[in-house]
Amino acid sequence: MNFSIMFDKEKCKGCTNCMKRCPTQAIRLKESKAFIDGIKCIHCGECIKICPHEAYSAQSVESHKEKNYKYKIAIPSTTIYGQFPKGTEICKVQNAILKLGFDYVYDESWASELVSKAIKKRIEENKNIRPFISTNCPSTVRLIKIRYPSLMEHLISLEAPMEIAAKVARQRAKQLYNLEDKDIGVFYISPCPAKLLAVTDPIGPNKSHINWVVPLNTIYGDLYREVKKENDMCYSNPSLKGIKWAVSGGQSESAELLNYIAVNGMENIIDIFDEIENGKLSDVDFVETLACVGGCVGGTFNIENPFIASNTLKYIIYNTNEDTLLNDDLDKFEELYHEGIFDLKITEDKDQKGKLSIKDAVKRFEQIKEIVALLPGLDCGSCGAPTCFAHAEDIYENEAKLYDCVVLRAKSKEN
Amino acid sequence: MVFDSLIKRYSYTIIGNDFTTAGKSSSDIKSNLKAIGIDAKIIRKIAIISYEAEINIIIHSLGGQLHCDLYEDKIVITSEDIGPGIPDIEMAMTEGFSTASDNVRELGFGAGMGLPNMKRYSDDFEISSSSNGTIIIITVLI
Repeated sequence: MNFSIMFDKEKCKGCTNCMKRCPTQAIRLKESKAFIDGIKCIHCGECIKICPHEAYSAQSVESHKEKNYKYKIAIPSTTIYGQFPKGTEICKVQNAILKLGFDYVYDESWASELVSKAIKKRIEENKNIRPFISTNCPSTVRLIKIRYPSLMEHLISLEAPMEIAAKVARQRAKQLYNLEDKDIGVFYISPCPAKLLAVTDPIGPNKSHINWVVPLNTIYGDLYREVKKENDMCYSNPSLKGIKWAVSGGQSESAELLNYIAVNGMENIIDIFDEIENGKLSDVDFVETLACVGGCVGGTFNIENPFIASNTLKYIIYNTNEDTLLNDDLDKFEELYHEGIFDLKITEDKDQKGKLSIKDAVKRFEQIKEIVALLPGLDCGSCGAPTCFAHAEDIYENEAKLYDCVVLRAKSKEN
Repeated sequence: MVFDSLIKRYSYTIIGNDFTTAGKSSSDIKSNLKAIGIDAKIIRKIAIISYEAEINIIIHSLGGQLHCDLYEDKIVITSEDIGPGIPDIEMAMTEGFSTASDNVRELGFGAGMGLPNMKRYSDDFEISSSSNGTIIIITVLI
């Protein structure tokens, strides 16, 4: 399996912060060093954000300059427009990206506007599925695959805007310059490691149309200098409907939905998925879920604080003249929709517990509960597992020992 | 037959009109079944059925018991309560029909979908009621 999160063992102090924060309990401490279970990891980047010792980082990526393509396309994430000080001429951003060595910029926001239309259409056409759950954030889709497989049928199964942007921009380049797929390099300027993984290891069977992912923070300095230059060319504005996608609730707003719920932050998403599993929210059309607090603006590769970035984006939306915005792909929406370019296939994960009989599975569970009863129930994490239950499971699987528990150890010394 | 033997029973006592812990028993059933490794689609059905059953006991009765019985080939949810019972079961099975008070509705419960939903997700649904209380036995095949 590909991995978008890198871990530096030397920097890890074994502090348990990441382990306690991980939404899928994929982290354990072994000999005071964190260890990620690649099968459980959903690449949400919570560990990167929480680690006080910077032991986690996103996978290092080669520079796009070294990539040998005849024609290089950049797709900047919608969050990019929230990263500059308020009042920056954002029409300069795309020109600044071109100067980094790209031949063409296709702004993700246009694809976001296209996908918004597809969301609206899909919801209207399928009244029997409620609520639909968004598929833009790869981490929440992976969370469903791992922890909530019964909700798979609720996923709206539309490609993320970055994929649509890549497909449309690639097609355009092929037609205009008579190029072949191998001549074209598509680079996504990403706000988070989850998008990076979505390219190297997609959630469905289809290959990504993006070749490489550039973390936004790695090019920010260069962009900032370019954007601040006086008299530089104003290239093009992003779609004002599309850039709403950077903030939680933006997809639904852009799709002109009224009956939706926008949830952000992993803990909140887990609560909402539990509610849907209990049969609730069947009167709600759309549940928009984004793993990061505030939405994509909260991704680890962004520069600006997510709440400040949302404010900046709102400022842009209200202070940019909509009449100057043009993108003819929007006129082709119906055609593109019927071609099926929005359709996303998601592969179901195989059941990892294997095929125990119910009797054996219950026996296993009851034995684990007996071990839990011996533990102090503090969920302190000092043993190296995030909860006492997780520790008991590890003991049962011979991955840990009862006396890894510091409380039990201390008590046995007292006696 | 071997498959008829009960493997495990999980039981919960539910207190009438106690909304502070509403959903806790069904949530526990769900997490137990998840930990055991029951198929996700089955858990979904049981989660809906047991949640509705639990809420019904809280809204409409003085209190009762919720049981989740595991067999090799089925899961059976039994809800037993002490209370006024259901005078007209046929009416109570109608979608949207509810006797819940305004107070309860303000809390977001009592939409009249409880019993119809429980039946919808079950493979077998038995209900009996008297002026002393109600017993519902719901079977979901694995």
